[in-house]
Amino acid sequence: MNMDLRADLLALLPELTLTAGALVVLLAGVGGGGRRHGGLAVTALASVGLTAIALKIAVDVSEAGRLFFSGMFVLDPFAVFFKVLFLLTAALAPLLSRDYLERHDYRPGEYHSLVLFATVGMMVMASGTNLASIYVGLELMALSTYVLAGYFRREVKSHEAASKYFVLGALSSGVLVYGLSLLFGELGSLDLAAMAAALGGAERTPTLLTGMALLACGFLFKVAAVPFHMWTPDVYEGAPTPITAFLSVGPKAAAFAIFLRVFLGGLEGLTPYWVWLVGGSAALTMIWGNLAALTQDNVKRMLAYSSIAHAGYALLGLLAGSELGVQSVLFYMLVYLVSNLGAFGFVILLESRGYAGETVADYAGLARRQPLAAFGMLVFLLSLGGIPPTAGFMGKLYVFAAAVNAGFVWLVVVAVVMSAVSLYYYLRIAMQMYLREGQEGEGAEVLAAPWTARAIGVCGVFVGIIGVYPAPFAAAARTTAALIGVTLP
Amino acid sequence: MLHDTLLSTLILTPGAVGLVVLLLLPRQADSAARWLGLLASLATLALAALAWSRFDPANPGFQLVEQRPWLPQVGISYSLGMDGIALVLVLLTALLQPLVFISSWISISQHVKGFIASMLLLETGVLGAFLATDLFLFYVFWELMLIPMYFIIGVWGGERRIYAAVKFVLFTLAGSLLMLVGILYLAYLHHAQFGVWSFAYGDMLRLNIPMGAGFWGSPQLLLFAAFALAFAIKVPVWPLHTWLPDAHVEAPTGGSIILAGILLKLGTFGLMRYNRPLFPEAWEAATPLFMVLAVVAIIYGALVAWAQKDIKKLVAYSSVSHMGFIILGLFAGTVASTQGALIQMINHGLSTGALFMLVGVIYDRRHTRLIEDFGGLAKVMPLYTFAFLLATLSSIGLPGLNGFVGEFLILTGAFAEHPLAVALAATGIVLGAIYMLSLVQRVFWNALVHEENRNLTDLTWREALAFAPLALFMVWIGVQPGTFLRLSEAAVRHLIGG
Amino acid sequence: MLDWLVAHVVPIVFYTAAVLVVAGAIGVIWFRNPIHAALSLLATFLAVAGLFVLQHAEFIAAVQIVVYAGGVMVLFLFVMMLVNVRTLPREYQYVRSLLPAAVVTGGFLAAVVAAGLFARSYLAAADPAALTAVEGQTMGNTEAVGWVLYRDFLLPFEVVSLVLLVAMLGAIVMGRKDRREEDAGEEAR
Repeated sequence: MNMDLRADLLALLPELTLTAGALVVLLAGVGGGGRRHGGLAVTALASVGLTAIALKIAVDVSEAGRLFFSGMFVLDPFAVFFKVLFLLTAALAPLLSRDYLERHDYRPGEYHSLVLFATVGMMVMASGTNLASIYVGLELMALSTYVLAGYFRREVKSHEAASKYFVLGALSSGVLVYGLSLLFGELGSLDLAAMAAALGGAERTPTLLTGMALLACGFLFKVAAVPFHMWTPDVYEGAPTPITAFLSVGPKAAAFAIFLRVFLGGLEGLTPYWVWLVGGSAALTMIWGNLAALTQDNVKRMLAYSSIAHAGYALLGLLAGSELGVQSVLFYMLVYLVSNLGAFGFVILLESRGYAGETVADYAGLARRQPLAAFGMLVFLLSLGGIPPTAGFMGKLYVFAAAVNAGFVWLVVVAVVMSAVSLYYYLRIAMQMYLREGQEGEGAEVLAAPWTARAIGVCGVFVGIIGVYPAPFAAAARTTAALIGVTLP
Repeated sequence: MLHDTLLSTLILTPGAVGLVVLLLLPRQADSAARWLGLLASLATLALAALAWSRFDPANPGFQLVEQRPWLPQVGISYSLGMDGIALVLVLLTALLQPLVFISSWISISQHVKGFIASMLLLETGVLGAFLATDLFLFYVFWELMLIPMYFIIGVWGGERRIYAAVKFVLFTLAGSLLMLVGILYLAYLHHAQFGVWSFAYGDMLRLNIPMGAGFWGSPQLLLFAAFALAFAIKVPVWPLHTWLPDAHVEAPTGGSIILAGILLKLGTFGLMRYNRPLFPEAWEAATPLFMVLAVVAIIYGALVAWAQKDIKKLVAYSSVSHMGFIILGLFAGTVASTQGALIQMINHGLSTGALFMLVGVIYDRRHTRLIEDFGGLAKVMPLYTFAFLLATLSSIGLPGLNGFVGEFLILTGAFAEHPLAVALAATGIVLGAIYMLSLVQRVFWNALVHEENRNLTDLTWREALAFAPLALFMVWIGVQPGTFLRLSEAAVRHLIGG
Repeated sequence: MLDWLVAHVVPIVFYTAAVLVVAGAIGVIWFRNPIHAALSLLATFLAVAGLFVLQHAEFIAAVQIVVYAGGVMVLFLFVMMLVNVRTLPREYQYVRSLLPAAVVTGGFLAAVVAAGLFARSYLAAADPAALTAVEGQTMGNTEAVGWVLYRDFLLPFEVVSLVLLVAMLGAIVMGRKDRREEDAGEEAR
């Protein structure tokens, strides 16, 4: 028993380290009038770094393929890949936020610690093999992000974002739990492996299918897929921009992690039933996300719709379901993470006063004033649009290939047509930057924000490398995928 | 050593220099950017000539082959190779690029760095698309061309440049993304039939692609359509041509030369390289349709060109007509007509490139391109008149110049099987002669009514230098076409026979 | 009569408690005096605890009383006494058309309940013994819950503690005075 607990705690070492880091940041933030922006950001970064080391240790010492905490927790390569992804997000978030928080004069202590708490939640989600541990991880992440969305209390929009996010998020959690309880009632367990085993002989009762459908709806809400996307534009627009950036990648990737784990692991036996639900949602998501983005003048809203559309592309990988499908989703998440954080980084740089720098027109003539910044933004936009040789194209390639391989050619056709549409709105920004001159005094200036610039640089390097030489990254996502699925005890 | 990586060096030289120009040169270093651009394009030309010298025309297969794994898991490799068809198009590309820089030396004065870099990146994309022997790599280079061209039209273009740029991108992208689905489906078929993923061109030729029943039930027809749509938009085949006049008219002179001279050829090249060998039965089935479209394009393009008041628009619509001939030659499918189509691709690049260049010359001086604003220029600008006349005669296919060779081969090659199409296309030649000569008549010979035109300067030495190589090749191909036909003959025979 | 009562004690307690739950819930929104509303809520909490006892879930019943009826309710009352609100003024309702909203919400709720009852008919009745058995041993319900909570569900339990911490943190972040106001206050001193 003691040995068991020791092994359990070792496997949990990364989460424990990050929790400790979050607490240190929280306590350190209380003193000093809460103005030590640099110090706190560095502390947050350091705890993410330590967590990465802890993750390495945990992986090294833990027995491969073993379940911890009475079958609640697993440290398979799938989980590790997502944890690395979350840690990358968590490392970039303080970099993106530091200058922004100082400029807007908000306390950094609680902010950074909430980001770290949300990351802990996401890491628990990625490792969860039981709907109970997955659900509490989800709630930890969700609660932290509700608060973060409303962190800028002097901005009305931020309030609005937080309340909408909270109410709708709580509703979706309720739907999710309801579905979960129905499944529990039918299958007699919340453990994914036990559920999969029970599904083998279980009758496809309406209760079972209702539970599955409700669970799918809850997950689709979390990944912001149509028709459960309504919260996204308002929340993304109102939340502080670094938080929008964080929301658009971290929680989305975490939601995909549990989506894959639950639907391809525990509920694989129900594939013929959920494939239409998820497939229809994927098609609608790609179509509506891209079409709605066309009409947006606010860059944050536009990127919100674009992130909806990207969730649609990633759903194709989930539908494909094979090893290649899972790999493609993982790889896509990585690609999307670096591209989107980079693009949001520029929005942050441009937000000189209040929420200025958000309309498309603010980008007019940027290429003339700041050629390097404009070129960087262009690269990220092209990556989001999926133009070679950027990372975004490679991500799409894998997802589309997996979907074609699984016979979803019609969905891939929808996806590519919508990719063409998406390029129109990405190029709208490029057009403003390069083709319009911009009147004097109009358009936002790029601010001196060295920390943010560093974060953008990191993303840019990744976009370039993955675009030209994606093999090692794709391989990392692949070894991960090989071990997904039902982890029988 | 260079032998192993000659093609890579050829492809990457312009792009690498382009990135250096874009990212490393100081902001106001316009002159340095121009010189670097010119030197890079000349170096590319030298490398292309080197590739020519090492090319064995008797061998129909790919030569100077390079292959490296890129994404081994899904069977994607970085593989290049050059056959006779690719060689002549590479030579055309490498030849036109320095001329574009010379002719744009003065007329592009804003954002010079960006212009040079865009042009060089575009050249990398074009060369890569001609030389790639992996479908995925081909697609990457194909898309790589899109963004530089968007900027070339959008930043340095005319009044409605933004509209034209967006239209260009959306048309091209819509087609090419469907092609991506097609490519993925081919790779999937390879996986299904041989058990491994592959995107290699050679592997694709071995596939057995079922014809099935009906259009929607036939994988081969659908795949053919996915590829053909992308290429037909690029050519452009009537009725997908509507982006072309906008893009041509709004693009700066250098952009128009590259667009007409090279980018349109990628469409016909794609049909030749991919559609015909990969989907032979579908090609058969689609031949009547494309014959009709080609004839419509020839006559429609000529009639619309005739009605134009703007010289540049006239030349743009004449492109639609000329590209129709090339399509006709390709789908007629004999060795002669295909050879003719190929040489006509070169001719069109030379003559239309020259015409756009010369229109640019006069636009730089007068800032108008309306035919009615000119007249009687022959007395004021004799050298210019001579150059324009030469390009015109080349364009309408005067025997002894290059245009005649191509049109003659196409029509004779196609006549046996498609006499009606040839007869109709021949009226297109007559119409072409009418509108081009009437253009020359109105611009150069009518009375000099506009006083502003009295003091126009003739071609400067720089403009003459940019035109001279084109003139040289027009005559060379016209008099001695064998030099070039010989290069591609083995490859074309292989294509037709195989 | 007594026999009848003894034989039917479960349904009698159930329906009494059920009526109390609903009546208490209605009272919460009915009374305009907040204290009355809070006390009405207390009735609901207690009746729910009764329902838990009926289901052999003594531990949850106890928790229901200690945490909700005890802790939460005292906090409510405490705050109300502190801010000293006697009755709520009649405020303009931001939901303009209350009736359709009520019908839609009520209909949705009815549908959910109906679905639950429908689903219930497919399920085997729960075995109360499961609530007290751990690894073949029978013990008290509280002990059994403890076993499950601290052994099988240790990880979710610990994560929930973090959730609570974040909730508290969030309440503080949202509720705290603005730093600029604080600074102004400090300078005034």
